[in-house]
Amino acid sequence: MSSDDETPTADGGTASQSEAVEDGQSEEHPLEWDEPENNDKAPDERASVSHRTEKYDDRKLVTGQAKYTADYEEQYPDLAYAAVVRSDIPHGRVTDIDTSEAEAMDGVDAVLTPESDAVPDAKYTSAGQSYPEPSPWDMHVLNEHVRYIGDPIAAVAAENRATASAAAEAIEVSYEEDDYVTDPEEAFDDDAPQLFEDGEVENEIVGHDYDRNRMAHIGGELGDVDAALDGETHVHETEWETIRQSHANVEKHTSLAYTNEDDRHVLITSTQVPNHTRRQLAHLFDIPIRDIRVQKPRVGGGFGGKQAMVVEPIPLSLSLATDRPVLYEASREEEFYAMRSRHPMKVKAKTAVTDDGDIEAIDIYALSNTGAYGSHGMTVAGNVGSKPLPLYSKVPNARFEADIVHTNTPQTGAMRGYGAPQGTLALEGHLDEVARDLGLDPIEFRRRHHMEVGDLDEIAGMMGGEGANRRIRSCGLDECIERGKDAIGYDDLEQPDEDHLHRGIGMALSAQGTGVAGDELGAAQIMMNEDGSFHLQVGGVDIGTGADTAFLQIAAEVLGCDEDDIIVKSSDTDVTPFDYGAYASSTTYISGMAVKKAAEDAKARILDWGSKLLGEPVEALETGDGTVYSEASSDSVTLEDIGYEAAYGDDEREHILGKGSHCTEESPPPFAAQFADVTVDETTGEFEVHKLVVAVDCGVAINPGMAEGQIEGANHMSYEMAVSEGITLDDEGRAEVADFDEYGLPPATETPPIESILVETHEPTGPFGAKSVAEVPTNTVPPALSNAVRDAVGVRVREMPITAEKIKAQLDERNP
Amino acid sequence: MDIELTINGERTTVEAGSADDLATVLRQHGHIGVKCGCDGGTCGASKVFVDGDVRMACGMAAVDADGSEIQTVAALGTQDDLHPVQQAFVDNFAVQCGFCIPGMVIQAVALLDSNPDPTEREVREALDDNVCRCTGYQKPVEAVLDAAERMRGAQSVAADGGHSATVPPNGNESTRCCGGGCDE
Ligand code: FES
Ligand code: FES
Repeated sequence: MSSDDETPTADGGTASQSEAVEDGQSEEHPLEWDEPENNDKAPDERASVSHRTEKYDDRKLVTGQAKYTADYEEQYPDLAYAAVVRSDIPHGRVTDIDTSEAEAMDGVDAVLTPESDAVPDAKYTSAGQSYPEPSPWDMHVLNEHVRYIGDPIAAVAAENRATASAAAEAIEVSYEEDDYVTDPEEAFDDDAPQLFEDGEVENEIVGHDYDRNRMAHIGGELGDVDAALDGETHVHETEWETIRQSHANVEKHTSLAYTNEDDRHVLITSTQVPNHTRRQLAHLFDIPIRDIRVQKPRVGGGFGGKQAMVVEPIPLSLSLATDRPVLYEASREEEFYAMRSRHPMKVKAKTAVTDDGDIEAIDIYALSNTGAYGSHGMTVAGNVGSKPLPLYSKVPNARFEADIVHTNTPQTGAMRGYGAPQGTLALEGHLDEVARDLGLDPIEFRRRHHMEVGDLDEIAGMMGGEGANRRIRSCGLDECIERGKDAIGYDDLEQPDEDHLHRGIGMALSAQGTGVAGDELGAAQIMMNEDGSFHLQVGGVDIGTGADTAFLQIAAEVLGCDEDDIIVKSSDTDVTPFDYGAYASSTTYISGMAVKKAAEDAKARILDWGSKLLGEPVEALETGDGTVYSEASSDSVTLEDIGYEAAYGDDEREHILGKGSHCTEESPPPFAAQFADVTVDETTGEFEVHKLVVAVDCGVAINPGMAEGQIEGANHMSYEMAVSEGITLDDEGRAEVADFDEYGLPPATETPPIESILVETHEPTGPFGAKSVAEVPTNTVPPALSNAVRDAVGVRVREMPITAEKIKAQLDERNP
Repeated sequence: MDIELTINGERTTVEAGSADDLATVLRQHGHIGVKCGCDGGTCGASKVFVDGDVRMACGMAAVDADGSEIQTVAALGTQDDLHPVQQAFVDNFAVQCGFCIPGMVIQAVALLDSNPDPTEREVREALDDNVCRCTGYQKPVEAVLDAAERMRGAQSVAADGGHSATVPPNGNESTRCCGGGCDE
């Protein structure tokens, strides 16, 4: 579809297999890493990391004391509540908004339309990303040109929720309707309705062609794929389709705004990206960054849905208009049609494979439906190729291209896995099929090709410029496969007694990144109290993953104290240092490394004081068990004594402080091997998934209990992608789901047991050897289940979700 | 109108309009352990005990609760002295964002009150209308089975209600269920 289009990529993307790569080294990307001495601790030397430390906030959470955004309600007796009027046509212009009835209602404080003074006019993107933002500025807070059913048009504030909703309903909107398009392939047609005029969008993205509703086109190539496809090989091609998945965070998007006594604008908000939100609000409202404070309380799940400034401008506009604090809590229905979702995609995979089973070339093309606006459109599509392809980075020729198109459908955005689930389905499903067609064992086939320690991943360079190649310094794929096979019982699978039932096992590999190479920053500071305890202030954002606990464990490991002796304060832009936020699997790696550096910095001061008090040189001292001790003399002094001495002692008093910032060019991939065990009924297509096993190499798990939880939750989300319809739309692009029952998240009884296996490796660039864990197991169930069904009954479902009807239809086709 | 409620052991008179649901009224009076994750009846986050029965507080008119005894998750245990179910959730890493957890804990306590020795299947059935987006239910199910074991142990050896005394030092290692492989 796009092969004749030019392919603008950040770099022409033809990095070659240089000699340096062949001998396993290159100066720019060496295998050896200059690792700090104390970063690689043997398991029995670890006092705090890799222990199952109790989660920092758990006692508050299980007793219902922890505060999420909506729980601040009672602190603001003057609080007003927001409701939003949204477009109920897929495409058109608002010609009139009649607010008279709403304004006349008792208890209504403000009604805002795109014309109102308090409503910013600037264009922006809701995507909460680095700056300059890699998403187009294509939307307004309130819109006159509406592009999907759900586009915000007007907002009200009222003294209670019911009045706010009633007032919103009383507002009459008149439209001039335009033609609309909801199918991403049709959106390319010459006569398709156009969502944006050329030149209308600011900060536009590479490869855009708004005449054809194309927001971006990206791609890159290694070697010569066409030549390989024309060679003496088997060429296979398959096409895959994924669902529009909802984040379904149980806490809805919620945000509370007010202006405080210092004339500063405060947002208490359920976000993954406090600092990006502050910057975006400053841009929109033309307020200096310093005058905005974003506070993140407990967050009830984000999964990427809150890596976006989805709701914050509404309560801020309303609070500016009313001079009252305003709370906006999206409804559950709005969550499904007007917040964000995973980009639904069609992905084509093509390979050239020799008779002997050598893969000569891989060619992936993705068509991504970004919906009405382009938030995260290009970057998510980029990951369709750049995350899974490195698994097979030994393959000499590789190409990836993607078109990202607008349709009049709800907005998409970041979601856990971030393009990797779509790409992993296509690649891992495709390779499985190729192996079976060639009569090869699909697992052995993968083993022959998958990435290993020492490999240079040139796919990252293919997408981001040659300098972005990365060296693989830790890889536990073989152990993941081995232990996963054992756990699922791959070698001694028993078939059911009934003839019409067939059991099969499918597997899939996955790789992700850890943070965005060269494009993130985390920072932290640590203050020592005079009783020897610490305050850790960190910009890193805990959205329910347990990040605060991981930070504590990292700090405690360095400082040699108990985790209980550290108070953590994360994510309040007035108090905590800068951080890019919780996304891209970066929190433990980037923010955690900042914490480690801050702790090392504080430790250096502590050792100085220890040296003074013990009369021994700093080099002879170490921290541990709440003390500074000397192995040579067996003398020690407690941290409490040091804290006291530093604050109240006789000479040269000092507040012991440590600070650390971290950014890096590295983004080491974590790896996973997924297994699914399924029985399919050949007569009906019905299937039962007995068990999911996923083995993950996340380096050193800072807290194994939390890491398992992340893996199992991610795998459940991945399972949903394989078996649920997601957010279905009618012909006009209207979401057909309004609540959890209609959405069909697999509940406890319909979720197979999930076994998580931690495979420990050591990533020298990560804090104490850690890589990421939260995303990689989100990618693998759709291909593993598709592969398992193929293994059981020989038919292949490529269009998610996998249903009995689809299996049955193919069985019928095979045996008419 | 004024209604009388006994909330977590404390008798109070609260004002409630005919359209007010119980969740809103409880939250307005500071009982933030009652969570609202949907717009009624499909997530289970707002579960509380009303006269001993589990109810979704969002789906019940406050006036219908007049005269009732309400227990929220806050009544079950304190941070220093958790209910065995709460303790098991903590020890099994069954809590991530925590938003669904008050409702889950209430439901789990109700299950174990009526069925002290549930199978894994029975635990899953009990939690079937408690939506959790974070955990995939694996660890919550393990936590409830673990809590059941602790509470049975406590009943047979202790008279203190089983609070914490029977909690093994490293609950997680010693109390995992079959590792996810059970399929009853
Ligand atoms: S808020 Fe009551 S069930 Fe969801
Ligand atoms: S722990 Fe987050 S929804 Fe259950």
